[in-house]
Amino acid sequence: MTLAEGVQIVSFGILAIMMLGTALGVVLLSNIVHSAFLLAGVFLSISGLYVLLNADFVAAAQILVYVGAVNVLILFAIMLVNKQEDFSKIPGRWIRDAATAVVCFGLFALLSTVVLITPWAENTVSPAVIENTVVTIGEHFFSDFLLPFELASVLLLMAMVGAIILARRDLIPEPVEKQETIATSLTLPERPRELASLGDSTD
Amino acid sequence: MDFSSNIASQLHAGTILPEGIVIITLMVVLVGDLIVGRNSARWLPYVAIAGLLLAVADLCLLWNAPDPDAFLGSFRGDNLSIVFRGIIALCTAVTIPMSIRYVQQSGTSLAEFIGIMLTATLGGMFLSGANELVTIFISLEMLSISSYLMTGYMKRDPRSNEAALKYLLIGASSSAIFLYGVSLLYGLSGGKTNLIEISAAIPQINGPQSLGLAVSLVFVIAGIAFKISAVPFHQWTPDVYEGSPTPVVAFLSVGSKTAGFALAIRLLVTAFEPLTTEWHIIFTALAILSMVLGNVVALAQTSMKRMLAYSSIAQAGFVIIGLIAGTDAGYSSMIFYLLIYLFMNLGAFTCVILFTLRTGTDQIAEYAGLYHKDPLLTLCLSICLLSLGGIPPLAGFFGKIYLFWAGWQAGIYGLVLLGLITSVVSIYYYIRVVKMMVVKEPHEMSDAVRDYPAIRWNLPGMRPLQVGIVISVIITSLAGILSNPLFTLATDSVTSTSILQPAVVTQELPATVTISSVIEQE
Repeated sequence: MTLAEGVQIVSFGILAIMMLGTALGVVLLSNIVHSAFLLAGVFLSISGLYVLLNADFVAAAQILVYVGAVNVLILFAIMLVNKQEDFSKIPGRWIRDAATAVVCFGLFALLSTVVLITPWAENTVSPAVIENTVVTIGEHFFSDFLLPFELASVLLLMAMVGAIILARRDLIPEPVEKQETIATSLTLPERPRELASLGDSTD
Repeated sequence: MDFSSNIASQLHAGTILPEGIVIITLMVVLVGDLIVGRNSARWLPYVAIAGLLLAVADLCLLWNAPDPDAFLGSFRGDNLSIVFRGIIALCTAVTIPMSIRYVQQSGTSLAEFIGIMLTATLGGMFLSGANELVTIFISLEMLSISSYLMTGYMKRDPRSNEAALKYLLIGASSSAIFLYGVSLLYGLSGGKTNLIEISAAIPQINGPQSLGLAVSLVFVIAGIAFKISAVPFHQWTPDVYEGSPTPVVAFLSVGSKTAGFALAIRLLVTAFEPLTTEWHIIFTALAILSMVLGNVVALAQTSMKRMLAYSSIAQAGFVIIGLIAGTDAGYSSMIFYLLIYLFMNLGAFTCVILFTLRTGTDQIAEYAGLYHKDPLLTLCLSICLLSLGGIPPLAGFFGKIYLFWAGWQAGIYGLVLLGLITSVVSIYYYIRVVKMMVVKEPHEMSDAVRDYPAIRWNLPGMRPLQVGIVISVIITSLAGILSNPLFTLATDSVTSTSILQPAVVTQELPATVTISSVIEQE
């Protein structure tokens, strides 16, 4: 895809403003539902940036995965929890906020310095030359990135098994006392220390 | 067609045959459980152990393979990686026997537990040989995600939930930081992901000193130090160790740490070679803090699992000494110590599990007078703990001596002296447990020991526990005196690995085939 330089600059500006604005909204707004919707805005503007970089596949994947799946999941989580709680004012809160701001700006300054003073090796092949990015990505997946690609399948299998384990409804077994060892029902056999915060679920 | 046949001939897929065996075992465990049902718990653990031992045997066959590069440079099965992969596979093979009874008694499913543990092992094994950034990240995540799942396995226990959530949140943020550092490496090298290509490209593009590389180093170390739980990144360790099922703790303290050290060696020695002095300084700080804080805080612990958590932080500090030494002796002392640490630490955890299963507690005070009721358990736990403390003639003593000797040879006198002093501190808290078990008179027995059940090894799942304890104790007692084979193994693996031999490394660029050249051939 080739765009005129002016179009590129203008669209970059619009996307950047959109992204910064929505990102600030995510952090600063107190209503969590608003934050979640603004997060979708951040993801959308990032995928716009990918389009500008001629990475059309990544842009599509970004929308599908992040907006379509991750963000919807976040909204579901908020909906299901639906807890209204008024947070009490913490005295001296501004000190924490100020410290956070100082750390963030320091990190930002450091990273921008890195970006500016590093002699980046520019890729001489323009990405616009690649006709079909999906084919190129596929070729990489089945050649030099074959191992991580196949590994990801094992990772996803185990993530699925794990998610089912966490979510399924278990039959809670009755602890049998006749045996010589400690039997529990889905809890650790060690008795908790006498701490109020931990509760006493064993025994 | 042409493309695929060209590629397939250059993959050298035989290099990852041990991992392939583990994957097949994993499939057998999952599918076998699916078909047979809960009754499969009788034979599944032994299938898993057999698979892991087969993988270790296959690793032995791959020793000194003529062409270690596999998957176009994504994976490097050199002797260093073989040793680390062997340690991780052995660690799981020793952890599974101790988990059978523990998991079954808690009413949770054993097959899935073993499945997740095998995945974690796979992640660790791939991480030890990964030579390319994407592979490194995927295998790191494989190890981490399975660890989070195992941590939260006792899902009705609030401690387990808390541990899993803490581990997940801290782990995810440290992964993110690590990923940022790795992405800087990718950018600085002009779009390379292979570690050896990166180490060649970065000085060319950026000159010898580069701020970007330094920032990347700091971020990458944050990720590695989380895995090996070195001190400023250790906050998760005590809570996670206390709340996780004990076999998981055993795996995390040995397998996960070993994988972290393998990653540290490979990444720091290749990609961050221009910054060797800088990462030595950072790791010196990590080692000092780990040794001091780990050993001092362990003194105050009342729970056995928490004490072993802090002791594992301190042990990581000792191992870092070998990494900083940077010599052949340094690296081989690390490997030697990790091999010995595997058996003594897992032996100690097996004893703790046995005590917990019989009494339902892991408080150190409850061990009082155990000698009168269960001499075998007392003897085994004492040997493992004394070996962890470094008392001669047990294996831990020789491991520590070798580490300190390598450090002394490399001229890091301060660190070695600190290591010696903190070892003395550590002996105190290990001996305290031994004294509690052995010295107390029968009338000073704790309630838990007074109600100690009759010892029966023929209950389901107890026999493997007994075998595990006996094997670990035998190896812990004899590995020090008969250490020569282990010692030779560690030294050979280091001297025959090209990335650790700076003079050779420049000529031995791997014969990787880039994608463009393959396409041109079509």
